[in-house]
Amino acid sequence: MQLLLVEDEFEIQSFLKRSLAEAGYQVDAASDGATAERLAAEGKHDVLVVDLGLPDQDGIGLILRLRQLGVTAPVLILSARRSVDDRVRGLEQGGDDYLTKPFALAELLARLRNLLKRSSSASEVTRLRVLDLELDLLRREASRAGEMLSLTPQEFTLLEYLCRNPGRVVTRSMILDKVWGMRIQPDTNVVDVHIYRLRGKVDTEGRLPMIRTLRGVGYVLKDR
Amino acid sequence: MSLKTGRSRSAAWRISLWGTLAFAVGSLAVFMFLHGFVAKDIQRRTDVWLSGEVEVLGDVAERTPKDRLYHRVVGEIAELASREVPDKPHSRGGSGSNDSVFFLQTNVDGAPTLWVGAGDGHAELDAIRGNKVKADTPFDLRVKDARIPFRVAAVPLGDGSHIYLGLSERDQLRVLRKLRVRFLLWWLLNVALGFAIVFYITRRMLTDVREITQAASRIGKSDLSKRVPTSGRNDEAGQLASTLNHMLDRIERSIQQLHTITNSLAHDLRSPLTAIRAKLEMSLTAETREREAESIVSAIDEVDRLTEILTKSLDVAEAEVDALRLHRRAIDLDAMLRVMVELYEPCMAEKGLRLQLRSAGPATVYADEALLHRVMANLFDNELKHLPAACTVSIALGVAGEYACVVLEDDGPGFASEIASSLFESRVKGDGSQGHGLGLAFVEAVIGAHSGEVMAANREEGGARLTIRLPLVGERLKTVAGGVLVAE
Repeated sequence: MQLLLVEDEFEIQSFLKRSLAEAGYQVDAASDGATAERLAAEGKHDVLVVDLGLPDQDGIGLILRLRQLGVTAPVLILSARRSVDDRVRGLEQGGDDYLTKPFALAELLARLRNLLKRSSSASEVTRLRVLDLELDLLRREASRAGEMLSLTPQEFTLLEYLCRNPGRVVTRSMILDKVWGMRIQPDTNVVDVHIYRLRGKVDTEGRLPMIRTLRGVGYVLKDR
Repeated sequence: MSLKTGRSRSAAWRISLWGTLAFAVGSLAVFMFLHGFVAKDIQRRTDVWLSGEVEVLGDVAERTPKDRLYHRVVGEIAELASREVPDKPHSRGGSGSNDSVFFLQTNVDGAPTLWVGAGDGHAELDAIRGNKVKADTPFDLRVKDARIPFRVAAVPLGDGSHIYLGLSERDQLRVLRKLRVRFLLWWLLNVALGFAIVFYITRRMLTDVREITQAASRIGKSDLSKRVPTSGRNDEAGQLASTLNHMLDRIERSIQQLHTITNSLAHDLRSPLTAIRAKLEMSLTAETREREAESIVSAIDEVDRLTEILTKSLDVAEAEVDALRLHRRAIDLDAMLRVMVELYEPCMAEKGLRLQLRSAGPATVYADEALLHRVMANLFDNELKHLPAACTVSIALGVAGEYACVVLEDDGPGFASEIASSLFESRVKGDGSQGHGLGLAFVEAVIGAHSGEVMAANREEGGARLTIRLPLVGERLKTVAGGVLVAE
């Protein structure tokens, strides 16, 4: 996977470069808009990570220009601004995503995977299978080792989200965003309680625990 | 708007009413003074004439021998005197008898000896007898059955008899009445005209002021780039408008500066925070020992907490100066609350709290969904953090007039009395609270930015009640509900 990282802060750039490389990406890094444009014009990148506050130009302007140049790779926008302006929302609706600083590395990786998956496989599946966990998306039924699980519709949606990202970390804010459609940062354990409940139904006594908690990061559904 | 029109019209009414009243009373007082002066002067002239005539008559009567001709001589002189009275429309063209003047002579016993005038003189005589007559000073005589009094001058003669000369006050009264009637007409005309002019001018001025007020209130709520209308005149209203516009220029500049500052502050703080968090995470991914990992994870937690405080502080700061960027669309509060309750119910149950939702059906508001989510999450988080176990949180959604009403109640300890008066201020929190005291300030700022209002109080039965009122979407907007609406 080829990734173009556009970030002017040296510390963050080097950290991201190393972490992304560890996660298996081949990273090209640019510290300003001009370099980014030159690198992106090669058209070999599968995904772009762009910080909005660049020294020589506005990050959004850069993205729009890259789009005009024919760069179609999805963009993950990094922003230090809280109130994200309309243009970012516009980009988000166009399939790109944004993340406000500071962020958890796991969140960045999870969102990147999400973007790549979105851009590659659009084919709709009707059944999901992770180990012995099986989900029928049409009938909205879940079973483990052939045994039907009695889930509420909300729990099913949550499990479906986990199953669509097997082996990958999903953060609390990603869960809130994708399952409940809210971009909130509750300072209470609302999401955790949902996960505990779901775990109580999926990881029953005597079975291999599948839903793992990563402290300070999020959750992973084990796929091996 | 209709309310405001009524208010300013009533101010115009009040001002013109009081102005006119002052003018009317003042001019009336001046008139009354003049009227009194004129009446006195007319009477003085009458008295001078009467005194002179009665003197002459007395003289004639003294000198004329009391024979058969006496009556004729004195009578004719009296007749002549009465002709001297000017402007007698009533006697004009009539017989010689003149009802505006009478002459009477009485003997020592007070019995009439000579009468010149209209009628037989009995009534006048009775009236004179009933009156205390002072010689040399004319006096008013009210004759029975006659509407108009006489002014009478008397003179005693050497033989003990008296001569009385009376002049009807009719002319005097007529002059004064004419004066009053004319004055009243002019006065009414003036007062009406004055009222109309004052009312017109005041209303025009107040209309200018009202337009400024309306424009200013619109500016406060929505768009700082708008300006109040200037009338173009260089009067007080025009100056008020241009002063306001200057002020708005300055405010707009300050807000823009604030935007720049908050953005750069957020940026400046976020970058080091990002770097710190990144470094912590990096040291965690390696084969860290359990004990070290523990402290790193808690450091990451602290960084996240710091980030959250930063985010909320800036949100509150922006919201409080009406600088939140709202991305409004039609939102059904009923559906939104159901999802929120679904999200929070398990967490509440875990803490032994009950969560109930009562809704009177869909209530569509035109609002920023993400901000409303955060408002509700704030409120639920508050309940989660502050309520002891076994309490009940109930949310009621209803419609009151043009507002959607969300009432959040609990049966917990309620708001602490020491903070009850300042709940919505930033950084105010109860002694036992672990929050950073930004929650309710944020709620109030966001709801305020949506032209709604928040009220918080302790319930009489115990517990806290928080009421949020948001303007409902009008019929016009409902038809496009669901789509993205463009602000007016």
